[in-house]
Amino acid sequence: MANVSFEHVRKDFGTTTVVQDFDLQVTDGELVVLVGGSGCGKSTILRMLAGLESVTSGTVRIGEREVTHLPPRERDVAMVFQDYALYPHLTGRQNISLGLRLRKVPKAEIDRRVRWAADILELDPFLDRKPKHMSGGQRQRIAMGRAMVREPAVFLFDEPLSNLDAHLRGQMRHEIARMQRRVGTTALYVTHDQMEAMTLGDRLVVLDGGRVQQMGRPLDVYGAPANKFVAGFIGTPPMNFLDGRLERERDGLVFVCDTLRIALLGERRPDPTVHSGEAVTLGIRPEDLALADAAGMGTIPGDLVLAEVLGATTHLYVEVGGRRLIAAVPSGPSLAPGTAVTLSIDHSRLHFFAADGSSLRQDGIDP
Amino acid sequence: MRRAAFYVVLAVAAATFLYPFLWMAATTFKSPAEVGGLSLLADQPTLDNYRLMWVRAPFGRALLNSMLVATSVTLSVLVFGSAAAYSLARLRFPGRSILNAVTVAVLLVPAQLTLIPMYTLIVQLGWVDSYAALIVPFAFNATAILILRQFFLQVPRSLIDSARLDGMGELRILFTVFWPLSKAPLAMVGIITFMGAWNEVLWPLLVVRDEQLMTLPQLLTVFSLGGGAGPRQLATKLAAAMVLVVPVVVAYTFLQRYFIESMASTGIKG
Repeated sequence: MANVSFEHVRKDFGTTTVVQDFDLQVTDGELVVLVGGSGCGKSTILRMLAGLESVTSGTVRIGEREVTHLPPRERDVAMVFQDYALYPHLTGRQNISLGLRLRKVPKAEIDRRVRWAADILELDPFLDRKPKHMSGGQRQRIAMGRAMVREPAVFLFDEPLSNLDAHLRGQMRHEIARMQRRVGTTALYVTHDQMEAMTLGDRLVVLDGGRVQQMGRPLDVYGAPANKFVAGFIGTPPMNFLDGRLERERDGLVFVCDTLRIALLGERRPDPTVHSGEAVTLGIRPEDLALADAAGMGTIPGDLVLAEVLGATTHLYVEVGGRRLIAAVPSGPSLAPGTAVTLSIDHSRLHFFAADGSSLRQDGIDP
Repeated sequence: MRRAAFYVVLAVAAATFLYPFLWMAATTFKSPAEVGGLSLLADQPTLDNYRLMWVRAPFGRALLNSMLVATSVTLSVLVFGSAAAYSLARLRFPGRSILNAVTVAVLLVPAQLTLIPMYTLIVQLGWVDSYAALIVPFAFNATAILILRQFFLQVPRSLIDSARLDGMGELRILFTVFWPLSKAPLAMVGIITFMGAWNEVLWPLLVVRDEQLMTLPQLLTVFSLGGGAGPRQLATKLAAAMVLVVPVVVAYTFLQRYFIESMASTGIKG
C-alpha cells in the first residue's frame, strides 16, 4: 500500500496534448475517481501510472519511489480493464494465479491467495471455467480477483463496469467499494459515469480537455462546482443553465433572462455591489426546483412539455421562454403536457457562473 | 431434383481430381504387366516397386533430409514470422510503417528474380551442399508475417497491457498469450510453409549436388530423369512420388480444421 503522486505530468501524442500539468496526491488507502467525458485524458493518466503509456514530462511516484520511467512489471500495480482482459485460453483460476506464478510465488502461497480472493468475491462456482463460459459479471469478478491476489501497492480500475448491464453495474459497484475497503489498498478508478464517481470515490477529480477542473469530496463537488463544466457534468439529470445578467433592484438583485426576471432572495447570491450589470449563467439543480401553487417572488412560470415518472421521483420538462428546464419533483398527481405550471426555486442553492464559466463567489461562500 | 444434380456435378468434379491420385496410388502396388491399365485395383498386389525404389536411390536419406529441411523452415517461419508480426502489429518504434511497407513490397518481387543473386550469395558463404543452403533462405517469409500481423492486430490491447502488468516481457507475451490465441493462423502458415518447403525442387537442384543431402522431390526429379521409361520404372517413380505426397496429406488431414477456420476468418486465399 502506498501514496501516489503526480507532479506536473504532461502527455503529448504527436502534436496533441492530452494531459496538461496534472497534479494529484492520493493518500494511502484512498479511492480516487477520475471522471470526465471521452477524450478528457482520464484513461491516459491511469495508463501513465501503470507504465503502459510514457510520460512526456513530469514525475509519477508510488510511495517514496519515482516510477516515471519504470516498466509496468516493476511498478507493483494491478489493473482491472473495461473488457476484463482475461486470457481466453486459461481458466479463471489460472487467470488469477498467472501473475503470481510469473513472480515465482510459492505454490502454497498462491493457493492461499486464490482461496482468499475466491472467498471475498464468491468466485468458487466458476473458478475452473474458461472466460467464454462465464457471464460478463463473472469475468469482471475474476479480473478483480486477479488484481487482488497480486496484493499490489495500487489498484487501477479503467471503466471496469462499462460493459455490464445496469443491474450488474450497481451490484459490482458495491463489490468494488467493499473489496477496496476490506483490503485497504490505494485505488484510482476511471469512469465517464458520474453516478459511479459519486457513489464510489473518497475523492473526485473532474477532468476536461486534459486539465483538472475540480478535485474534492463527491458532495462538495456536487454542492459547489468550481465551474460550469463541472456543474453540468456532475448530477443526473444535469443542472439547468439560464444565460442572462444581474441587475440591481432597490437593495436586492434580479436575474434577467429575456422576459424572465427572477428576484434573488437567498443568502447565496452574488454580491450586488460587485456583480450587478454582469452577464452570468444561472445554474439550478433539477431537485432545487419544485412545483409552486401560485406565482410569487422568485418563481418561474412555464409550460409542461413532458413528465417522466421514474417511481418516487418525476422529471418535469418545462418550457420557460423558449428554454427547457428540468425539475425533479416527488411523484404526485399526473400532469398533462401543455399544462401551465409555476416552478419555485430553492434560492439558497443557486449557482452563478461568470462569462468564462468559473463559479462566482457568493456572499463570502467559496464555491 | 436440383439438389441431386448439384451433388452429381460435385461428385464428378471431385472424381476428376481424385482419380489420377488414386490411380497413382494403385499403380505403385501393381506388377509391370498391369501398370498400363486404368484399373484402381491391382490383381496381384506387390510391394516390389517400393523395394526397388529404396534400393536404387537413397530415398530413406532423402526422406529424412526433407523432414529436417521442411520442419526447420516451418519452425523458423513460425517463430521469426510471428515475432516480426508482433513487432509490426503491436510495438511502437520509429520506422515501423516503413518496415510494414517493405514487407508488403517483398511480396511483389518474383522469387525467380532473386534466384541467381541468392545462389551467388550461397556460393560466397560457402554453403553449397549444406543444410544451411536449404533452410536459411526460407527461414523468413513475408506472407507469413502479413497473415500473422493481420491476426495479431485483432487481439485486444488490454490483453497485452494485462500481460505486461502481470510481469511478462514481449517474447513471453508472444509465445504464451498470442500463440495460444492464434492456433488457426499459425496452423495455416505452418501448412503452407511446410508444403512449400517439402515440394521445393528448383532451389535444392541449384545448391545441392551431394546425393546424401538431396531432398525427396529433388532426388525424385533426378531419379525420374535418369530412371528409364519402362512400366517397371514408371511404377517405381510413382512409388517415390507417393512417399513424397503422403506426409503432406497426413499433415493436412490433422490440421485442416484450423486451416479452413483460418481461411474463413482471414479471408486469405490459399
